[in-house]
Amino acid sequence: MKTRHIEKIVQPGTPHFVGDGFRVHNFIPGTSTMQRMDPFIMLDYNSKYHFPPTHVPKGVGVHPHRGFETVTIAYKGRVEHTDSAGGGGVIGEGDVQWMTAASGVLHKEFHETEWSKTGGEFQMVQLWVNLPAKDKMSPPKYQAIANAEMAKVPLPDGAGEVEVIAGAYEGNKGPASTFSPVNMFNVRLKKGAKMPLTFPAHYTTAILPVEGSVKVNETTVVLQDHFALFANNDGDTFTLDALEDTVVLVLSGAPLNEPIAAHGPFVMNTQDELIQAFQDFNTGKFGYLED
Amino acid sequence: MSLPNFKKHLIEKGGLSEDDYALIQPFIQTKTIPKTEFLLKQGAICSHFFFVEQGLLRMYALNEEGKENILQFATEGWIVSDRGSVFFQEPSTYYIDAVEDTLVVMLDEHFINEVSQVNAGFREKNEQLLQNHIRHLYKRISQLLGVSAKTRYLDFVSMHPDILLRVPQWMVASYLGITPESLSRVRKALADANFKPNH
Repeated sequence: MKTRHIEKIVQPGTPHFVGDGFRVHNFIPGTSTMQRMDPFIMLDYNSKYHFPPTHVPKGVGVHPHRGFETVTIAYKGRVEHTDSAGGGGVIGEGDVQWMTAASGVLHKEFHETEWSKTGGEFQMVQLWVNLPAKDKMSPPKYQAIANAEMAKVPLPDGAGEVEVIAGAYEGNKGPASTFSPVNMFNVRLKKGAKMPLTFPAHYTTAILPVEGSVKVNETTVVLQDHFALFANNDGDTFTLDALEDTVVLVLSGAPLNEPIAAHGPFVMNTQDELIQAFQDFNTGKFGYLED
Repeated sequence: MSLPNFKKHLIEKGGLSEDDYALIQPFIQTKTIPKTEFLLKQGAICSHFFFVEQGLLRMYALNEEGKENILQFATEGWIVSDRGSVFFQEPSTYYIDAVEDTLVVMLDEHFINEVSQVNAGFREKNEQLLQNHIRHLYKRISQLLGVSAKTRYLDFVSMHPDILLRVPQWMVASYLGITPESLSRVRKALADANFKPNH
């Protein structure tokens, strides 16, 4: 077991709105490239933000995706999703929606109607996970993952628990099915608790404390809402010390090591495939969805 | 300022060499137009042709009921202007505004003269661009008069493949001369025919 060190810590930048419903700090590809973060090709973080009540739900209207999966982790607030392949549903606090856009869908995401009427604190992560070339044109699918379905692994001495969304923690598997090895955990640690985490040294690995701050490897403090990326092929294990009660999103995935050709909502392997994506979108091959 | 799209335009379509481009650089004027602001308003005399380096402009007229009819979109590499107003120095009947934050290169007769002095072939190349523009306008009038909304839509998106991701649907409908509801029907019919998610 060898210590894995932090390569860099990124503070949340100036937020921007995606549609009118998501006020986000972009970490990927804005502060670390798609190539460096492979297979995580986009990460927008809506840090806690209070949305006032409204009768017109805020969100993002109809838009396409091809070539990857979109993963929305709801920490606070409720989101409603609809897509042209028939997927859809509402996710609430602690839930995750995992949409495999693959060959292409149109979708829209809005704050849930009832939640919008009262408004409240909203906090989410949206992540795009790239698909291997062989799966980019597979059929779209949708996984609504309720918090209750996630494996919850208690830590010794009541230190907290690891909530497994995807991948596995000490043999406990998360419910999300993935196309390449991806670990996605919410680590809930009580103040003063400490734990090690081990992943293969070549996996792209990062943490984002969404509640509270942590100290990594007993040396480096990562504040709430900051994104910390670990060095590759350095070591396999790092430790987290909770400086207060914390929730830390932990990401670790095997790089696909394939070429990336990206334009807006399409992420493919070649320029020709991107041109094809635009043609297919324009000619209805992503289906139809009312605004 | 680096202007890769304008440089590419002058070299590929204007016949300039890299050396020619270096010589004309001092004469290049640019302007940044924030989203929703205007480059031209009805009643003003249009002084320039606008080459879009980055961003998106639209040119439109208001009809008798005050509704916008979009004549042209200009994305990266396109030129938009009220050529009649520039040439005849008469008040324009059109508006040109920015749909996105846009960087344009301002072209006028003075600039064309300077480039022509550096490269004598440029004037003829510029004439070809004008003739191409006129050909495009004939085609557009002919399509508006004689072909289906579906054909007009497909022709438009093949010319501007990313436009649906950059402008609201009502603007596309306005350009095509149909209602937003008709555009939705065209797109739904295409999806019904072409969407096969499980194949």
